[in-house]
Amino acid sequence: MHAGRIKDIFLKEIAVEFRQKYALGGIVLFTSALVYLIYKVFNNLTGLEWSVMLWVITLFAGLQATVKSFMQERKETYFYYYTIFDPNDLLLAKWLYNFVMIVLLFGLTLLFMSIFMGMPVKDYMLFAKGSMLGLAGLSTVFTFVSLIAASEHSSSTLMSVLAIPLVLPIMLLMLKITTVSARLIQDTSVDQDILLLVGINAIFLGSIFLLFPVLWRA
Amino acid sequence: MTNKSSILINGIWWKASGIIIFLYVLIGGMLVPLGPGVTAITPSNAVAGDTVVLEISGYNTHFTDAQNCNAWLKLDSNHLIKAYSIRSLSQKKLKAAFVLPDSFPSVAQVYTLSLVLDNEFDGVFIQPAALFVSAKTVISDALSGEWKNNFDIVFHERQGIFFPYRSILNETIRNTFFHVALWFAMFILLLIGVVYAIKYLRKGNYDDDIISSSFTAVAVMYGVLGILTGSVWAKFTWNTFWTNDVKLNMTAVALLIYLAYFVLRGMHQDQDRRAKFSAGFSIFAFTALIPLVFVIPRLTDSLHPGNGGNPALGGEDLDNTLRMFFYPSIIALTIMGLWMSQLMIRAMRIKDNILTR
Amino acid sequence: MNSFFRVLTVCLFSTPLLAQGAEDFLRSTGKIYSVVVVICILFLGIAVFLYRLDRKITKLENQIKHEQ
Repeated sequence: MHAGRIKDIFLKEIAVEFRQKYALGGIVLFTSALVYLIYKVFNNLTGLEWSVMLWVITLFAGLQATVKSFMQERKETYFYYYTIFDPNDLLLAKWLYNFVMIVLLFGLTLLFMSIFMGMPVKDYMLFAKGSMLGLAGLSTVFTFVSLIAASEHSSSTLMSVLAIPLVLPIMLLMLKITTVSARLIQDTSVDQDILLLVGINAIFLGSIFLLFPVLWRA
Repeated sequence: MTNKSSILINGIWWKASGIIIFLYVLIGGMLVPLGPGVTAITPSNAVAGDTVVLEISGYNTHFTDAQNCNAWLKLDSNHLIKAYSIRSLSQKKLKAAFVLPDSFPSVAQVYTLSLVLDNEFDGVFIQPAALFVSAKTVISDALSGEWKNNFDIVFHERQGIFFPYRSILNETIRNTFFHVALWFAMFILLLIGVVYAIKYLRKGNYDDDIISSSFTAVAVMYGVLGILTGSVWAKFTWNTFWTNDVKLNMTAVALLIYLAYFVLRGMHQDQDRRAKFSAGFSIFAFTALIPLVFVIPRLTDSLHPGNGGNPALGGEDLDNTLRMFFYPSIIALTIMGLWMSQLMIRAMRIKDNILTR
Repeated sequence: MNSFFRVLTVCLFSTPLLAQGAEDFLRSTGKIYSVVVVICILFLGIAVFLYRLDRKITKLENQIKHEQ
């Protein structure tokens, strides 16, 4: 672990991302188009539909954004990384980068959705806490799955097939927390949900840190 | 040349023992009779102070054979009312007349009484919430003479082995051996698969990948069968093929994850990378399964044992007679799973030999 | 032709009745037959698995035969 290295890789990722502006713009456009489509289709959303849509859009936009984390550079470049970096540094940087990307996309979706369809969330603290934990979990799963899917040609299909069942528990918990924070349902055990989310994150992060160095060699 | 792990156990004895144990479960599980129980009671409501004649339909009961038929209505262990007259219409039909007292020991709108039946053939058996008695408007403090307590009653005990009678489950309690045991066997096989996946990642021996994927394949087959048998069972107890039950949906997700595992295996062409990535995914999926199947269902109510007030396994749901067949069933299904995975392993080894020749 | 349609309609309309009858049968004697269905599913699942394995091995045998 080396904080400076992690920062370097992280900054490099951002530089690469901004070099290909069209890719970033594509995802932003994808998100806004999706929100607009939903707005036109539904016209009026109930609080529950609103939270479902928010998370579904975040899920798919996040998939789009992270699918290329291990694909956008050439094999030789990765071989070069392999020789100079500790795999854990690389993983942490990638994870951090994916996390920031997903948070940005989530914020963007939230912004668009509140412009078009209002904002039913009342308990902002709970919503923020839950969302951050959930997004961290999403980014863990996506980082890991994008590594596994990277070596294939039809990797985006493979990525969704592998990732969606894996993130389902997180999504369900997120949906519950969102509906609770929008005061649609009363639930006293929401703290337990948050704890569970922390637990899931810990398990996921722990296992990818154990697995990544081995898989990275391939 | 990859060296072979010693997962193949030679000899026929363990395969034979698997078959014999399964046969024991099949025969015993089907032949051991269900204990006596009550299927219907009319009427189900009464008013305090009335005389009620209950017509009781029994299941696996011997009302006409029995000489000493007795019936009580029970409020709690200290308060019982004995039937003043009992007449058996047939082996499965019984009429019992009770005088309900005016006064009850506690104040409530409605009293829920359970029915205790006892005879020397069937032993004692209880139907909970058999009669709802609405209280009279006047509640006196003095208890009238109908109430008796438990202590001076000698109950019969049924001879021989039998499975407990549960009102909705009825005979389907036997599915414990064929459906619930399937899930346990699935988890054992998945665990073996994951152990070999870890072994593969540590040693890089291709044979371990063959073993791991074979065990996972058999486990997934067990999982699919578990979903199918569970939905048949649900149809006859909860009256629907698929409920919104958390455990059901979570296991469906678990299956989706493992089916994705096979998609992943199918997509890779390169043997070494396929082995590596699928081993990694299978370990990750197994760790994801732990919160999935065990933790999340505990948060919400579920129809399954162990959730939301339903007794867990080891409680009242699994009595000793059921255990006599339940644990052997897990062992038998696991052995049969081992056998099937070994056949797969051997086939895949031959394939590997042909390819590398 | 007319009688054919009559038979067809009778068949079509009696299917739910038959299904009802089948379900009544499965529910009779304390739902014991649903246990039989569960065991049949278990058996069929294992049989399908073995059939597919059989085909896989046949393919391998053919491959070996071709090479010789």
